[in-house]
Amino acid sequence: MHRLDTIVAVATPKGESAIAMLRASGPDCANLAQSIFNRKRPAPPRYSYHGTYVSIDGEALDDVVYCFYQEPKSFTGEDTLEIMCHGNPLIASKVLEDLLARGCLQAEPGEFSRRAFLNGRMDLTQAEAVMELIQARSDKAIKAANNQLRGAFGRQLGMLKDKLLNSVAAIEAYIDFPEEDLPAEQKQAHVDGIQKLVTYCSRLIDSSRYAAFLRDGVKTLILGEPNAGKSSLLNQLLGFERAIVSEEPGTTRDFLRERVIIGEHSIQLLDTAGLREAQSGIEREGIRRTIELAEEADIFLLVEDSTLPSPELPDAIADRLSADNCIVIRNKIDLGNAVAANDSFGSFRQVDFSALKGEGLDALRDALVSLIDSHFSTDEDDLILVNARHNTALNELKDCLGSALAKFEADDAAELVASDMRGALDAIGTILGRIDNEAMLDVLFSSFCIGK
Amino acid sequence: MNSRRDPYDVIVCGAGHAGCEAALASARMGARTLILSGNIDTIAAMSCNPAIGGVAKGHIVREIDALGGEMAVNADVSAIQFRMLNASKGAAVHSPRAQCDKKVYALRMKHVLEHQENLDVFQATVTSLIFKGDSIVGCRTNLDVDFFGTTVIITTGTFLRGLMHIGKNKNEGGRMGDHSAKTLSSSFLEAGIELERLKTGTPPRLLGRSIDFSKLESQAGDLDPTLFAFYDTRDDSDMFHVEHHGETFAGWAPGTDQVSCWITYTTQETADIVNRDLHLSAMYGGEIEGSGPRYCPSIEDKFVRFEGRSRHMLFIEPEGRNTNEYYINGLSTSLPFDTQLEMIATIPGLENAHLLRPAYAVEYDFAPPTQIFPHLESKKVENLFFAGQINGTSGYEEAACQGLVAGVNAALKVRGDDPFVLKRYDGYTGVLIDDLVTKGTSEPYRMFTSRAEYRLLFNHGSSELRMLEYAKAYGLLPDSRIAKIEEKKQGIEKAVKWMETNRRGEQTWATLVRRNDDDLELPDEISRLPGPVLSEVLYRIRYDGYLKREMRQVEKLNSVETIRVPSGFDFLSVRGLKKECALKLNQLKPANLGQASRVSGVNPADISILMVAFGKI
Ligand SMILES: Nc1nc2c(ncn2[C@@H]2O[C@H](COP(=O)(O)OP(=O)(O)OP(=O)(O)O)[C@@H](O)[C@H]2O)c(=O)[nH]1
Ligand SMILES: [Mg+2]
Repeated sequence: MHRLDTIVAVATPKGESAIAMLRASGPDCANLAQSIFNRKRPAPPRYSYHGTYVSIDGEALDDVVYCFYQEPKSFTGEDTLEIMCHGNPLIASKVLEDLLARGCLQAEPGEFSRRAFLNGRMDLTQAEAVMELIQARSDKAIKAANNQLRGAFGRQLGMLKDKLLNSVAAIEAYIDFPEEDLPAEQKQAHVDGIQKLVTYCSRLIDSSRYAAFLRDGVKTLILGEPNAGKSSLLNQLLGFERAIVSEEPGTTRDFLRERVIIGEHSIQLLDTAGLREAQSGIEREGIRRTIELAEEADIFLLVEDSTLPSPELPDAIADRLSADNCIVIRNKIDLGNAVAANDSFGSFRQVDFSALKGEGLDALRDALVSLIDSHFSTDEDDLILVNARHNTALNELKDCLGSALAKFEADDAAELVASDMRGALDAIGTILGRIDNEAMLDVLFSSFCIGK
Repeated sequence: MNSRRDPYDVIVCGAGHAGCEAALASARMGARTLILSGNIDTIAAMSCNPAIGGVAKGHIVREIDALGGEMAVNADVSAIQFRMLNASKGAAVHSPRAQCDKKVYALRMKHVLEHQENLDVFQATVTSLIFKGDSIVGCRTNLDVDFFGTTVIITTGTFLRGLMHIGKNKNEGGRMGDHSAKTLSSSFLEAGIELERLKTGTPPRLLGRSIDFSKLESQAGDLDPTLFAFYDTRDDSDMFHVEHHGETFAGWAPGTDQVSCWITYTTQETADIVNRDLHLSAMYGGEIEGSGPRYCPSIEDKFVRFEGRSRHMLFIEPEGRNTNEYYINGLSTSLPFDTQLEMIATIPGLENAHLLRPAYAVEYDFAPPTQIFPHLESKKVENLFFAGQINGTSGYEEAACQGLVAGVNAALKVRGDDPFVLKRYDGYTGVLIDDLVTKGTSEPYRMFTSRAEYRLLFNHGSSELRMLEYAKAYGLLPDSRIAKIEEKKQGIEKAVKWMETNRRGEQTWATLVRRNDDDLELPDEISRLPGPVLSEVLYRIRYDGYLKREMRQVEKLNSVETIRVPSGFDFLSVRGLKKECALKLNQLKPANLGQASRVSGVNPADISILMVAFGKI
């Protein structure tokens, strides 16, 4: 049976729980265990190990417990890898994404049980019982998916599909009806058409914030004067000593990046070099980087030493700050000699804080969550949620289109372009439901006069 | 004829393109076969276009050849013009097409039937079928002569209650000049086989002498034609060729002495006349109930659906060397005779053209093909097979490949052997039959390359290799040819490997080939390979990545395709399967889970459940 593919899925139900389990089954599992956890030797079967999950691009995603099962002694009867990570859905999704990036395929509903049955690991009645469960769940899943597809995401995908069908129909008409008097094959029109689809598709992927957050987290920049306590704040939010802290202003020369989960949000914290008239070349470089980062950041934490008057910020940064994206952190309140806050930040969320003592940490967390919620909340209908499966499909779609485009430009055979375009149709079909060839023919015959 | 005392193994009703292949296939497999035709002068008649092949159809013809059928050789020796379509669009969709001499094509096929061992040809119209219990046992003819056979293949084309329309004028018949089978339909209904109506049409025929060719664009044949039959693996004696029976025959060397086709266009005046008389058209006047093909619209349809466009291309195709009749491809219509005359006169080059036969639309009964198994036997009536237009297809090639499959299966049934089922990934014939039996059709079904998911695996030159296992398993080709095909196959594989491993400088030859450099000079080992081998080698190397991708998809499909559904299986008995889905599957009786998965409304979770159910049964 499907011995070729290694399939993967999150095995625990969706939503917050203490622990999430991901299960992979198939021939790659032994290698996966070795490469993900950087093991010198293969993991001995049926032992639980503690390890840091390192993604394919070298990022540490989570501390997890994993267990490798060797065929046939596993649930499916194939090599199996189980990974227990922290229950936050974002972490689980992130790990899932990484496994997909490593070449695993998302398991279809019931696929584990099917393999288990086919490999003789389950008897018929057991398998039937599991199947009934799966059936119930997949119906629910389909319903949930349909609900979602009724929203903006579905509408946009529908539009994308229609455009794609038009392009495919044009190419297929050109291949299947060479004797017809079709409009001359206009390469440029096709290239433009497909190019538009690629752009459209990219936009859809980008606007799917969930996917972007999944990838990067909410980009949060910690700003402030040298010595204000930025690095101390980072360490507080992380809960461990990540950044070097010292009384020497200008300690942090380049930025530091760390990920933290607060509430439901995955947050990417960026500690920066302090903002001031630069003393040295290295420092000037650090400040230039900070300004650059500020351009892409979603959220700002402006750290002030509450005992000192508010400093002037470079225009490039001041222009980016607003009450919707910035929290002013009045640090060092433990010193007890705070000066009055700067009026220009009057409407901003402000938190009195002591990075030294950890005072105000809960208030800061709450402020962050409420800011992110309000910053990103939009009309439910417009909110485009893309789950890992959709994301895989959209990226596949984009890849196929990109490849079709490249072939068109290189003047490759039409049938090869068509092959990629059909790949694109299949990809979108995995979200919207299989697109039958009849649908393509309908478009073809209604747009072209085929007549012999 | 000693028919009544000596029952046949296989009786084929109808001697069109499906019937001829069916009869030849079963007879060649050693089954005692009878073919019946209402008029044996019209055996293998080209009722419509005087051409064989074209996009996807040309591929089918080569597959027919690879399975021991006759259409390819017959077309080659009767062709008067060869053209390779799609020559610029990639090797997988290169499509051979030929204009044939209509009469020569039919005459030669008749001659082949006459000389075929184990085959009797007899002229009689089948009027009804004879059943015994749930099986068919024979048929009754208009001569009051009954024929009995273990199996019966129905290849009646458009003749079942055929009704032809020219405006308000109606004639009964399956083709102008021939009768229709009026009573046979009730035999099917009696047996519980449902029938529906389809419609198709044919354009007018003109007298060449009255056409002003100086106003037309000429379209000549290819200088170096690609023939349909695989001659490189064939000995002369393997041809089943009438010429080898010491008979004289009016053929000519394939590809010699080609003739031209011609191109002209409709005008605004044509459009005006058609629009003016639209209400007189049988189609638009409500005379016709059946639905017609979208890919072959009448001229009325073209002007109505693409309003504002008056210029439509027409091909003027010669019907033979020894006739002055021309086929006006693209001018299909059911407008009245007078309108046709007026309309034709508005077309450049045809101003004074003499109309030999008017265009007409024909309506006929077909048996929706979801009522048959993939081996083309009826689900209702045992030993009854269906092939060709009766299954809702259109085209000689589509009919012929079904005929061949039905003929082989009838012979296998007689022997008590397992059926011959082509899969979707074997070739166009497999796609065609799978589409028909799984989804049915609401218009005359024509093959397009876009119907095939694995189009790149189906380049025409590989037909012989793709069909090899079947040809071997069922003895469809002589041993000498099988041996040559195997040798060809090994030669190709060896050469591909050589190209992948040997280098010129840093790069393997395969890499150099993939760069698509036109000036690449191939090494002697490769360039001296025979043409068909060389082109397949280069194809495999160039398309390597794509072919692998499609092969992976095929493997995936195959894992469910090989799980057979036990015959008579009740899907309602499967716990957990949605009732709606179970009912649909019960009605369609898929032969395997792959087929079941293509039924609309059946989702992957349902297939998982079925896999569980079948794993142990
Ligand atoms: N009393 C008090 N001291 C603090 C507090 N937060 C930070 N400090 C001290 O302030 C000094 C600078 O802290 P850092 O966290 O290194 O400040 P920074 O903003 O990262 O400084 P640069 O990287 O140099 O720009 C250290 O000596 C800290 O111990 C606080 O809340 N209260
Ligand atoms: Mg610092």
